Amino acid sequence: MLSRKFIYIILVIVILALLPLVVRNPYYIHLFIMVGINAILAMTFILMLRTGLICLGIAAFWGIGAYASAMLSMKLGLPVWLSLPAAAVITAIIAAFIGAFLVKQGGFGFIIQTLAFGFIIVLIFGTFQVFGGYVGIVGISHPEPIPIPFVGSMTFTSISKMPFYYLMLFLALLMVLILTAFYSSTAGRAWRAIGLSAHLAESLGMNLFNYRLLAFIIASTIAGLMGSFFAHYFGTLVPGSFGPFKTINVHVYAILGGINFPILGPVIGSLIMTLVPEFLRITEGVEPIFTGIIMILLVLFLPDGLLGLTRLWQRRGKPSENTSHHMN
Amino acid sequence: MLEAIKLTKYFGGLAAVNELNLIVNQNEILGLIGPNGAGKTTFFNVVSGFFPPTSGRVLFEGRDISQLEAHDIAHRGISRTFQASTLFMKLSVLDNVFTGYHMSYRTGFLKRVLHTPLARKEEEGFKQKALETLKFMGMASLKDELAANLPHGYQRTLGIAMALATNPKLLLLDEPATGMNLNEKKAVIDLIRRIRDMGITIILVEHDMKVVMDLCDRIIVLNFGQKIAEGLPEEIKSNREVVEAYLGKEESKNAA
Repeated sequence: MLSRKFIYIILVIVILALLPLVVRNPYYIHLFIMVGINAILAMTFILMLRTGLICLGIAAFWGIGAYASAMLSMKLGLPVWLSLPAAAVITAIIAAFIGAFLVKQGGFGFIIQTLAFGFIIVLIFGTFQVFGGYVGIVGISHPEPIPIPFVGSMTFTSISKMPFYYLMLFLALLMVLILTAFYSSTAGRAWRAIGLSAHLAESLGMNLFNYRLLAFIIASTIAGLMGSFFAHYFGTLVPGSFGPFKTINVHVYAILGGINFPILGPVIGSLIMTLVPEFLRITEGVEPIFTGIIMILLVLFLPDGLLGLTRLWQRRGKPSENTSHHMN
Repeated sequence: MLEAIKLTKYFGGLAAVNELNLIVNQNEILGLIGPNGAGKTTFFNVVSGFFPPTSGRVLFEGRDISQLEAHDIAHRGISRTFQASTLFMKLSVLDNVFTGYHMSYRTGFLKRVLHTPLARKEEEGFKQKALETLKFMGMASLKDELAANLPHGYQRTLGIAMALATNPKLLLLDEPATGMNLNEKKAVIDLIRRIRDMGITIILVEHDMKVVMDLCDRIIVLNFGQKIAEGLPEEIKSNREVVEAYLGKEESKNAA
């Protein structure tokens, strides 16, 4: 029953779990937390992309989740462990309503409208003082300490990043589990089919609108959940960080990894794009140039992303083996 | 089984289908022929729900399906193939057919996402059925081949296999024999006969007259979106108007 794939996965999880014990520098742990968040966001992009939806509003839903959780815990006094899932539910509801309208618009309309939505959300967060205006919200509460069996309790402070890392890891693995469950089900096959040939999928009885809306809602809710985590981790929210610029960064992470690899691609892409600027000592102001260059290189030379190269080698090395994508 | 009543479809100012009245009987193979642009594929597109009609109605098994969307019409039991080789190119042949069983799942959506044993069993069952369908078509050996790598003839039959997987009552075949050599055409003719023997009603759009005359119980001829002739193959062969419709196009082609 224990396939090779299963063993690899367990290995990866163990390595990820032990990472902060090896890399003790809190700044690097912060980087890995951001890698995790960005990877999950990139996964939501690919989820929608599969069904033919190019979403320019991912950061907007990330922001909705963040602000919702911040509001719930600060204005309504909810404990963080309650506001986290509650914010996800709020994001899901908003995604359902907005999504119904956006998905109906069709391919090109969807792109434009999600872009508009991305700008509008930033405007809303910045204009209304209840959201803290363009200055943003500061001092968002950290999650309350939780008891860990045999170890004691885990407290979340601004100083030690480790508990946040493990929380992020837990959430990320949960999201990957949920995504994988959907992808390997008939829903995942339907998404794939719709993305490959919408007309054919329709003629086989697939309701394009329903499946696309489902992908949109799941993707946006996951983004929102990561946002609510981010709010209580980072402690500060500034409306500007939730605009289409952030979304485009997320796109690059996904494309760099390879859009045909819905889970692994985003991890690779976000790892590289988050860590490489560090090693190259690229400062924050110059980072957009780095991202832009990567974008151009990708479009010109590597549209299938880095993991797309592995397919190429597979095809060249073993001409007798079949190279079809198996639906699993 | 299927009835079109004064069916009309305008694209801008052009009536692709113009007040068409048409009846399809159960378990027959009905041939739909006519020069290019006669409205045959538009008729298919309207019946299968890809275009709403401008006016008129389509009745299937007595019920009005005119305003239904394509996926709903598929659920009602009407399937089609496409003129171009429309397949899931990046998937294997088996996966293409397997996708055709999408509508047939009985287990609930949530159960399928949670991968309950029941759901998994059903999935395995459909994988088996997909293999059976491929065997029925004589394509079992190609099951792992990428759809994009198939020769043209097999791509057409794969399209038919997928439409079959949906367990249709009515099958719309859009030029299934196009681009096939003589042997492939013989195989397709045999295949369509076997499909009809399964109890399925078939509407066949085809340009190859030999195929049409060989297969069809009845033939309807369209030109400029209207029915210009209807009857048994022998009658249509000798129908002056039909010959003119085709020859007329031939002559204008030669003159141009």
